[in-house]
Amino acid sequence: MRIWIPGVALSLSVAVLVSSVATAQNRPNSFPDWPSERPPLPLPAREVKFPPYEIRTLANGMRVLTILHHEQPVVTMRLIVGAGAAEDPQGKAGLSNLLGNLLDQGTATRSAQEIADQIDTIGGALGTGSGSDLSFANIVVMKDSFGTGMELLADVVRNPKFDAEEIDRQKQQAMSTLQVNATDPDYVASALIDRLIYGFHPYGLPGNGTPETLAGITRDDLVAFHKRYFVPNNMILAVVGDTTTDEAFGMVEKVFGPWPRAELTIPKPIDPPPPTRRIVVVDKPDAVQTEIRVGQLAISRNHKDYLAWDLAVKILGGEGANRLHRVLRSQRGLTYGASAETQAMKQAGDYVAETDTRTDTTGEVLRLTVDEFARLQRNRVYEPELKDAQAFLAGTFPLTIETPNEIATQVLNAVFYDLPLSDLATFRERVQAVTPDDIQRVSQAYIRPDRLSIVLVGNARAFVQQLRAVGFTDFEVIPIENLDLMAGGLQRTGRASVR
Amino acid sequence: MAFRIRRPFRTLLFAALACGAAFAAWTPLQAAVRPPKLQYTISTLPNGLRVILSEDHSTPIVHVSVWYHVGSKNERPGRTGFAHFFEHMMFKGSKNVEPESHTSIIASVGGRSNAYTTEDETVFWQTLPAQYLPLALWMEADRMATLRISDADFKREREVVKEERRMRIENQPYGRLSEIIYDHTFTSHPYKHPTIGSMADLEAATVDDVREFHNTFYVPENAVVTIVGDFDTAQATQIVNQYFARVPKAARPVPRDIPQEAPQTKERRVVVEEAWPLPAVVVAYHVIYDGHPDSYPLHITSKILSDGQSARIPRELVYNKRIALTAFGQGNITEQPNLFYAVAIVQPGQKPEAAEQALIAEFEKLKREPVTATELQRAKNQFARDYIVGRESNQDKALHLAHAAVIHNDITTADGEFDIFTGITTADVQRVAKTYFNETNRTVLYILPKAGGSR
Repeated sequence: MRIWIPGVALSLSVAVLVSSVATAQNRPNSFPDWPSERPPLPLPAREVKFPPYEIRTLANGMRVLTILHHEQPVVTMRLIVGAGAAEDPQGKAGLSNLLGNLLDQGTATRSAQEIADQIDTIGGALGTGSGSDLSFANIVVMKDSFGTGMELLADVVRNPKFDAEEIDRQKQQAMSTLQVNATDPDYVASALIDRLIYGFHPYGLPGNGTPETLAGITRDDLVAFHKRYFVPNNMILAVVGDTTTDEAFGMVEKVFGPWPRAELTIPKPIDPPPPTRRIVVVDKPDAVQTEIRVGQLAISRNHKDYLAWDLAVKILGGEGANRLHRVLRSQRGLTYGASAETQAMKQAGDYVAETDTRTDTTGEVLRLTVDEFARLQRNRVYEPELKDAQAFLAGTFPLTIETPNEIATQVLNAVFYDLPLSDLATFRERVQAVTPDDIQRVSQAYIRPDRLSIVLVGNARAFVQQLRAVGFTDFEVIPIENLDLMAGGLQRTGRASVR
Repeated sequence: MAFRIRRPFRTLLFAALACGAAFAAWTPLQAAVRPPKLQYTISTLPNGLRVILSEDHSTPIVHVSVWYHVGSKNERPGRTGFAHFFEHMMFKGSKNVEPESHTSIIASVGGRSNAYTTEDETVFWQTLPAQYLPLALWMEADRMATLRISDADFKREREVVKEERRMRIENQPYGRLSEIIYDHTFTSHPYKHPTIGSMADLEAATVDDVREFHNTFYVPENAVVTIVGDFDTAQATQIVNQYFARVPKAARPVPRDIPQEAPQTKERRVVVEEAWPLPAVVVAYHVIYDGHPDSYPLHITSKILSDGQSARIPRELVYNKRIALTAFGQGNITEQPNLFYAVAIVQPGQKPEAAEQALIAEFEKLKREPVTATELQRAKNQFARDYIVGRESNQDKALHLAHAAVIHNDITTADGEFDIFTGITTADVQRVAKTYFNETNRTVLYILPKAGGSR
């Protein structure tokens, strides 16, 4: 099958061609009253440009971005701090996450309840937290409450109280959440694949900690982390929505300007270990499905190969292409969803394929998935397939600038990862410039099919024989209740498996 | 290609567990800033198809949705899950579109597309660069009129839906919470059954059922096409006519005979076990349908009980008493009478009985004394925030317009409800509490960790 749409060459793979012909023969009727026709031509296209924005740096080093948008009377402020779980001190996994949850739980002048009352009463919303490389505080307020919102935002990031009772309350919440997560195959599989890929590099450790590391976190740890990293020269603030440049920068200067710059030292990260083959089966006997993850170390966000590599992974399992989806779902009905994604961060990056399937097809799905990694690494990508992936990625550009917050996300990403801001406007051209040779080069450079990390979470007893049958003979089995991501052997000591 | 989980669980329970970033917002109503009204036209083609057009030229993209007024409440006994399963079958090709190629054709022009099913409706949508509006309309008309159905596709897709059920419902902690609540609160109305259906019923479905379902419900008079974005209304009207006017009118009226629920006459108490790590306690009351005058004070009540950390249930059960890891109480207000229910996930070391008492105490308090003027104003401000933030994208706007047309059968409610909410009083909130939050109308559910299960 080949459908021609002006400006876009589109064709699907030979496998789909064959299956669609077979289907057509089974068709019960051919709807004689309905015309046979080709897709309609597009209308004339309108020019699309990246919308305007402005970036300034305050004297104290804080970087400030404004994006104006006047359709709705609302202003969003997004503040990013350049430290997150990757900066958790050794043995204190979960510290930055706990800190993020405590930011809105009391400041020097406002109790937790007062903060909640204030933001809820003005009909706003406040969210604080942390990720691998960053912590954040976001606030959304109606235009009339812009000043109140800015002042509240500054208070929670600058003056958190870390009250003992609030620490205790948030620790209890975090512990109970861990207890729930520990029984969720999806959560366990995702946490474990990171651990296999990154080892004891901070990206491999659980950002929300373990019961043991959480128990060891003190108020002094929180205060020290906050003092060290929550400084204006380590922050980016975006002001987005129904305001003016003068009002926005004036307000930011007034509220954040007096905050002095501080000495900032980010500890030098250790290198993640080189890729090694390791297959871990986590046994959850009551599971009705197996959660599967297959992944490997790749490149950081600001690596020069990022765009070509991201396209390669999209061909493997991304929107607009997705070999895994085609092989596992469309052709065989083995799963509801299959995808692969690049996760590229400050210090390093990885790519992971994820899917789930019923217990009795676990071996088949793992084999098919790993074979797709090998095929992408071995065979030059078929040109129309790359064209489709490029057409999607470049064509979807106007969809990614629909709302002011989507625009802000793109600019914030560029600033945060030190990417050239000029890249925002040239995105489509850069996507279209990628060639099959580029895809082959990055696939060969970053895919090592013999050294993949693999995680399977499910009813192990029912599927381990299948793994052997499809050639995966060397794996560890860990009962889900014994899993400990902080242990070298991944199991709690003294509770070794006796299965 | 999904079914939508009843909203409270996804948004509150799991957002709380995942501690993600919160986004949403707005203002004091005293400020008299009213959100801008939606501008639109609505018309009906001779075959009964309704068409809503709303121009927005801020970005050169367009959103096209097709709502079919059929959901899991239209399913026959023994065929639960069929509306959602059928939604998947709509991707199996039509006369001019190859099987499985709908999504990839839209993607090849830089567009996104998907579909979902609820109790009341099935929605197909695409957002794409504005110049491809004709392509989206042509493809939607093609599958409305000429869906291809093969036995092999049908069987393969059934396995996909079974995997979807395993993934979303069976294989994650609390995944079955919604279906347990509805199974024990309803007796005869099809809201009793989950939208995803049961494995046995999915297995029993046949190709003939698929054809019958398409002929019965996927007809122009049961559909609404909504287009929001960068287009010219006159030109879009011409394109819609070109592709949709030729879809034949339905041969017979769309059936609307849905068994109704008899009023509950005494309290139900249920204890079940699941392999979940922490107990869940549910207190549920039958309430009214979407658009009924009582539904607006009930929405306000949801906000007073659950929206934000200062709301009554999180403050009392999570913050003050520390009984619950997460807790909320909300109305699930849908086309036909549904539930208002509260859920608490009980902290280790705390008793489910304490959670039940604390939840019921909140409902009793709403009956006993009026909410404060401050609480009411806060709820209205939060409502206005949701109203504004929920109308940012073309997809959001299309959702509100289509919902008003399909579920209320009155498109003016898409904007008109704002004034109704503004006028609600503390007496209205107390009155609906007294009407619905009564013991005889109540179900109390304990869902306890299975003995010997996952800790």
